[in-house]
Amino acid sequence: MTPIAGGVALNLALGCSVLSIISLIAYNRTLDYRLFLAGQRLGLAISFFVFIATFILGYQLFISNFDIDYVARYTSFETPNIFKISALWAGQSGSLLFWLFILSIFNTITIIQNQDRHLNLMPWVIITMSVIQLFFLILTNFITNPFEPTQADFVVQNGNGLNPLLQNITMAIHPPTLYLGYVGFSVPFAFAFSALVNKDIGALWIRSIRRWTLVSWLFLSIGIILGGWWAYQELGWGGYWAWDPVENASFMPWLTATAFLHSIIVQEKKDMLRVWNMVLIILTFSLCIFGTFLTRSGVMSSVHSFTESSLGPVFLSFVFIILISSFGLMFSRLTVLKSPRKIESVSSRESGFLFNNLIFVVMCFAVFWGTLFPVITEWFNGDKISVGPPFFNQINIPIGLVLLALTGIGPMLAWKGTSNDKLIQNFSLPIIFGFIAAFIFALLKFTAYTVISFSLCIFVVVAISSEFIKGVRVRKNKFNESVFISLYKMIEKNRSRYGGYIVHLGIVLMFVGFTGHAFDKEKEFGIQVGQSESVASYNFQLTRMHEEERPNHYAWITDLRVTDASGNFITNLHPEKRVYFHKNPDINKRQPHSELDIHSTINKDIYSIFSSVSSDNRTAFVKIMINPLVKWVWVGGYILAFGTIIALWPRKD
Amino acid sequence: MNIKIFSLIAGVLSIILFWIGWVSMNPSDEKAMARFISVESLLNNETSSRTKLGGIVKKGSIRVSKTNQLDCFFVLKEGSAELAVNYSKTRPDLFKDGAEVIVTGQYRNGIFLADELQTKCASRYEGDLRKESNYKLEELET
Repeated sequence: MTPIAGGVALNLALGCSVLSIISLIAYNRTLDYRLFLAGQRLGLAISFFVFIATFILGYQLFISNFDIDYVARYTSFETPNIFKISALWAGQSGSLLFWLFILSIFNTITIIQNQDRHLNLMPWVIITMSVIQLFFLILTNFITNPFEPTQADFVVQNGNGLNPLLQNITMAIHPPTLYLGYVGFSVPFAFAFSALVNKDIGALWIRSIRRWTLVSWLFLSIGIILGGWWAYQELGWGGYWAWDPVENASFMPWLTATAFLHSIIVQEKKDMLRVWNMVLIILTFSLCIFGTFLTRSGVMSSVHSFTESSLGPVFLSFVFIILISSFGLMFSRLTVLKSPRKIESVSSRESGFLFNNLIFVVMCFAVFWGTLFPVITEWFNGDKISVGPPFFNQINIPIGLVLLALTGIGPMLAWKGTSNDKLIQNFSLPIIFGFIAAFIFALLKFTAYTVISFSLCIFVVVAISSEFIKGVRVRKNKFNESVFISLYKMIEKNRSRYGGYIVHLGIVLMFVGFTGHAFDKEKEFGIQVGQSESVASYNFQLTRMHEEERPNHYAWITDLRVTDASGNFITNLHPEKRVYFHKNPDINKRQPHSELDIHSTINKDIYSIFSSVSSDNRTAFVKIMINPLVKWVWVGGYILAFGTIIALWPRKD
Repeated sequence: MNIKIFSLIAGVLSIILFWIGWVSMNPSDEKAMARFISVESLLNNETSSRTKLGGIVKKGSIRVSKTNQLDCFFVLKEGSAELAVNYSKTRPDLFKDGAEVIVTGQYRNGIFLADELQTKCASRYEGDLRKESNYKLEELET
């Protein structure tokens, strides 16, 4: 019974979205206010029915109703409750419903928040959002319905269950966080589209979406970082980023969104770059949909037939519709969009922002190019050539370093133009520090890129700190406050600016972490109790290996004693080899899993993986990796989130 | 926009686009690119360049060396074409009989020496629910 209710709720939502769009279009023609109210309420009704459908599916997963195909495929009786709920976004149809669910939350907030604001923009904002909902409703109603029943001729005893790899709390949080980011950009996009339709192009619509954009950007960033963190902790290849198409799918909108975040400042302050901002938000939103397409359709990840899906063409056509309609509309508004003001000087902050934007977009193009390289080469000469991480690294490292440099340069430029005296005054200290650092790192015989990257990090840190020190000094002298109070008040008075600088500091720390990758060492070997093996300057001794049977798996556990070159004890590592469903008579249903162990310190991680055990249970085969500075990436991530929250914090007035 | 900024933008843009094009033609790392082909066409052409192949691990074909567990041989099956593969690094957990895999490496004298082995990232257990329903819950509980 209830599964049917879920399907009906989706039908009703679909109907409401069509009606909402029709009445709002009618309102635009007749200006009969009742039609606007009808459209607005129908807009809320779409979301209401989507909420109902989502809660029904969530509940069915929770009570393990295996009459629903989706429930039977992604959960089983043994699945812990929390992962029964997270199974909501484990599979295709559920994750599309979940996308829709988040979209509906955002739409509801937007509609309620703007009941008596932006009245000229709202009709088209609601239309745009309803069209996006309509698209996902078509998918979940007709193409991949999450309430599809299991075949009627047999009873499912127990479901398939969730992969143990995914039974991890980070993995439960990572997809929804990314989705919040992806979906969040539909709100700024809807406002931009509406601004275009209404020829209301000034700085006003920008102001109304600044916060939405920042929130979505924060979620997208956290989602990406969590994904890397999960891969590092769980997957056991010792890295956090592999330039996999699905990772790239989330990175591309992040790049354009970051560009957008910067360039809307210019429009807010100077009313310039109007066309450019339109381009960026349209690109960002299209890339979000394109990203969902890459993730869900299985076109890229793969050989001939990894996850086949009928969704590909539908998604692709939606991306094309978005691109054609928005860019078409934008070109027809080009005369209105033209900004009355122009950038005056190369050394102005405006031009700094412009260059930062340019580099972000080009980097996005580079990632796009690499991701679609197999498709492109196949078009050209019939050969499908796929590119791996070395390709992406080679292209993106120099581009990334330019961006890093701009992180320091941009904030030191003044609006309109910076005088030569000011340039010397602002830049001399960071440049001097940067060069000293470069000299020292070169003496240490680091590679060229490593030297450049580390010294740019120093350059940016000195540049940002001097901005802070300057500001604090001015306040201190003016109001006679203590250092901490003036620091606090300075940040409080100008949250978006100093929040932004803190984000920059986070990015610098992450770059330090990325650069540490250049010093990675690894070794794979077999080892018996009592033997030892050395990796880099560390010694690993296997002191014990034992077996243990636990509630849902069987485990082999090693005790690895780690000492440094001079024999000092560092830590004991206990990587495990587990077999889940070890009692399943079908050997192929048993699921091996390597539970790795990491000793993480601020300057390096010692990463251990227990890959297999010999049949006589005496030799353990392990892989050890020494990964310097990885922790800086995570710490940088925290600081990035902290800075964004400062920039987001509402003002008192 | 003033001419200076415009020419700077054009300059930066063309340098980076040139760079992307250049790297695409001459990647510095030989592992940067691999040609995706079918097992059948590899066997027909016996190419020794770096290739990427997809297929299924033939049931019962996995042989792990007695002395070094990292050293492993198996038969990759794609359609009716079969190819012996050697891989001697840590194997992913999902690597087993019948698993869908992608291998990257080089073909030398009748054997494919793989240096990368990826298994399909399964978000769940694939399989027929009909068969699945055969196993009993009690068997799993301890």
